[in-house]
Amino acid sequence: MNEVDSNEATSIPSDADWLGVARSAADSFGSLGAGEGVDPLRELLVFGLDESSYAIPVEWVREIVGMKELTSLPRSPDWLLGIAALRGEVIEIADLGLCLGLASVQPNRQSRIIVLHGDAGRVAGILVDSVSEVFRVPEKEVQLAQGLDVTYVVEICRRGDEFVSILDIERVLGVGDA
Amino acid sequence: MAARGSDSEGKQVGAEQAMARDNHEFVSEAEEILEKMTADLSELSEQRHAGAEVEPDLINRIFRSAHTLKGLAGMFDFEVIGELAHHLEDILDGLRLGRVSLDSPAIGLLDEGVMLLASQMARLGRAEVSRDDGTDALRSFISQVEEVVHCPQLERCDEFGGLDVDPSLLRALTEYEEHRLRESIRRGRHLAVVDSTFEILAFEEGLSELSAAVREVGEVLSMLPAAGDAPESQIRFSLLVATEIGIDPLRARLDFPDTQVRQIRTSGESPASPVDPLSPADPAAPEPSADESSLEPDPAGSRRIGSLRSISDTVRVDVRKLDELMNLVGELVIQRNAIGDVARRLSSNAQTARIGAELQKTQKALDRKLKDLQTGVLDVRMVPLRQIFDKLSRVGRRLRRDLDKEAELVFSGADTELDKLIVEQLVDPLVHIVRNAFDHALEPASEREAAGKRPEGCIRLSALQRGNHVVITVADDGRGLQVEAIRVKAIASGLIGEHEVLSRKEILNLIFEAGLSTAETVSETSGRGVGMDVVRANLAEMGGVVDLESEEGRGTTVTITLPITLAIIQVLIVGVGDERFAIPLNSVLETMLVEPSQVGRSEGREILNLRGEPLPLRRLGDEFEIRCAGFDERQFVVVLGVGAQRLGLLVDRLEGQQDAVIKPIKGPVQQIRGIAGATELGDRGAILVIDVSTLVGDGLRRREAA
Repeated sequence: MNEVDSNEATSIPSDADWLGVARSAADSFGSLGAGEGVDPLRELLVFGLDESSYAIPVEWVREIVGMKELTSLPRSPDWLLGIAALRGEVIEIADLGLCLGLASVQPNRQSRIIVLHGDAGRVAGILVDSVSEVFRVPEKEVQLAQGLDVTYVVEICRRGDEFVSILDIERVLGVGDA
Repeated sequence: MAARGSDSEGKQVGAEQAMARDNHEFVSEAEEILEKMTADLSELSEQRHAGAEVEPDLINRIFRSAHTLKGLAGMFDFEVIGELAHHLEDILDGLRLGRVSLDSPAIGLLDEGVMLLASQMARLGRAEVSRDDGTDALRSFISQVEEVVHCPQLERCDEFGGLDVDPSLLRALTEYEEHRLRESIRRGRHLAVVDSTFEILAFEEGLSELSAAVREVGEVLSMLPAAGDAPESQIRFSLLVATEIGIDPLRARLDFPDTQVRQIRTSGESPASPVDPLSPADPAAPEPSADESSLEPDPAGSRRIGSLRSISDTVRVDVRKLDELMNLVGELVIQRNAIGDVARRLSSNAQTARIGAELQKTQKALDRKLKDLQTGVLDVRMVPLRQIFDKLSRVGRRLRRDLDKEAELVFSGADTELDKLIVEQLVDPLVHIVRNAFDHALEPASEREAAGKRPEGCIRLSALQRGNHVVITVADDGRGLQVEAIRVKAIASGLIGEHEVLSRKEILNLIFEAGLSTAETVSETSGRGVGMDVVRANLAEMGGVVDLESEEGRGTTVTITLPITLAIIQVLIVGVGDERFAIPLNSVLETMLVEPSQVGRSEGREILNLRGEPLPLRRLGDEFEIRCAGFDERQFVVVLGVGAQRLGLLVDRLEGQQDAVIKPIKGPVQQIRGIAGATELGDRGAILVIDVSTLVGDGLRRREAA
């Protein structure tokens, strides 16, 4: 996983594209593979939430840590659990369950904080029920999540006999921008 | 510390300010060099007056100073100064190579050149001249120098032909070394070649020992690796040596292993050695061989670089590197706090009390060292306020011209030091305040005279350190603020209620509110208020507060209080319910324990009688919607002060003071009102740092809503 340059500052502009760079990195990933004439693979971090499987492109992931001591943040939305100190940085941690309008994550030994990174040192942590694996899936097996009546899921793919919902994490965390 | 401006600062300031900054930076550094040159020059003339042989190193030193100055001027694009330094360098180069005689007008020209440099720099420092300003004095100086330097050069003929020395050694001499050799012959010193072989691994040490031994009794004219016959693990050097003592005494002194001293006879004493008349010292002669020349360092060149490095005892450091160091110190402070925690826990347990006490002692020692380290690193970041004052005096001169107003700026406390970062951010607010004073506060001369004042206005800027803070005041003797006019304006713009009773000071400080701070509101009548809200916001960003006092007809004084550094602050940890918060100690005036009975109410708002003054209270729990104990038992009040504003914050617990590094909170939710950031508390996670100025502002403003 990439380390993010922690010297880069800081506040996140209100436009939804706050993970812009990571996003474009993910975009270029597919076309790169296609150019080589091989079946391009998509790398996804698969995690469990509300008894289902969700995923985000690994390019967004900086690190995965266990549950941390959280300090709650007043005057903030419900889905924002609080802040945690992570290797010298203070990072906001969101409850991904609440973000998606599902039940809140109950922290236990399986639950993990996925630290996401975008451009300009932007970071955020999301709390999920568990982390499964980095899953490589051929690009052609990824389908758009059209007609599924979902808000934050953009694509969907199969992993064994289950479906994995691929999240548009920018939109998910954009819910905070009132 | 003259750290070169960081990338970001250039964007905000205009080109002119950037140039002023350049000027200042250049001048401060060039002055240092010039001082050294002046000192060296006076030593030179002393040596000459004493009739002594002038030390070659002294001339070299002055030469290097001129050279450094030339480079510096080139870097900053100051052509005139560069030109001057270049010509000084020419003279000095001529002197050290013996091309120019010390008895020629050269010495006088050196003095003149340095004087010209000093006057050029003084003008730059006062920002009176732009970069280039050729004068007659300059032109005449330059032409004189050219005359002296370009006098018929000594021919590099085979003047050393009479020396029975390996011609390849002579060919490798630099011009300077040739000059020294010539000089030695002229003075009838004994010449010798000292050949010595060293182990490659340790040759530097051996070589410097050897040359040190030579220097005790003479001069090393040149030092070259010798070609040839040494085994691979060894290296041979040939030193060309001149000495006053005879060759035999020299040989006796240089009793080193693998070292031979061979006398060189000059033509007079030599038995007319058959030397090929073409080869010696012919500048056109081909290089001995590629191998050999690649082995040969350029002794003069490398020596020069070494000396250039050591010419100045200061180091320029990127301020970001200092930030990194400061961060590290901050982390250490956190670790120290954690250790303190463990020590306390250990000592409170009967079984581990002994170890705990020991650990506490160790922690105390660590504490002291850490404090030293902290002060040391902080010290490096400190720059005197003079930098800003210089800038302000230039701003003042321009304003005088633009506004056609007579006023003087008086400075004091320019040596007061502040964190470099704060100084940089302080420029704009201070310029703003001074400009306001000039523009609005100071009356035209006629009006001043009518009021019985001196026609010329005066703005006094002073700075002084008070504990961990620096207090800067800007005082003018202008017309002062009309309290009533501000009140009317504030009511009109809805800032305060029509019947609201405010103290004089409170009304004056309304100047810093956004609603009152546009030019068309008060500047006509009261003469102030352009963007003062921005000033306050800028200062608050660096933990500073601004306060204002004014007397109608007498003048206005703006007082700015700033922390000396941003890097580490002291915080008070308070507890509310299950939560803890950190409050920067610099905004805490006092803390006290209050009984419910001491608290009164006015329009439902809690008020504490604080030594006769009513102090508005807010509950921190209410502010941040935290469930906490009701106020039916004793509670703590933290009295916060921001400028002239006071607010009492009710909390459940006081948990002590601590050093803290405030960090930004990263994540999707932007800025939370009332929170300035977070800090780490050892292994106990992060805690929020309260943004006192917004909390106090909000807490007081809510009064109008109530």
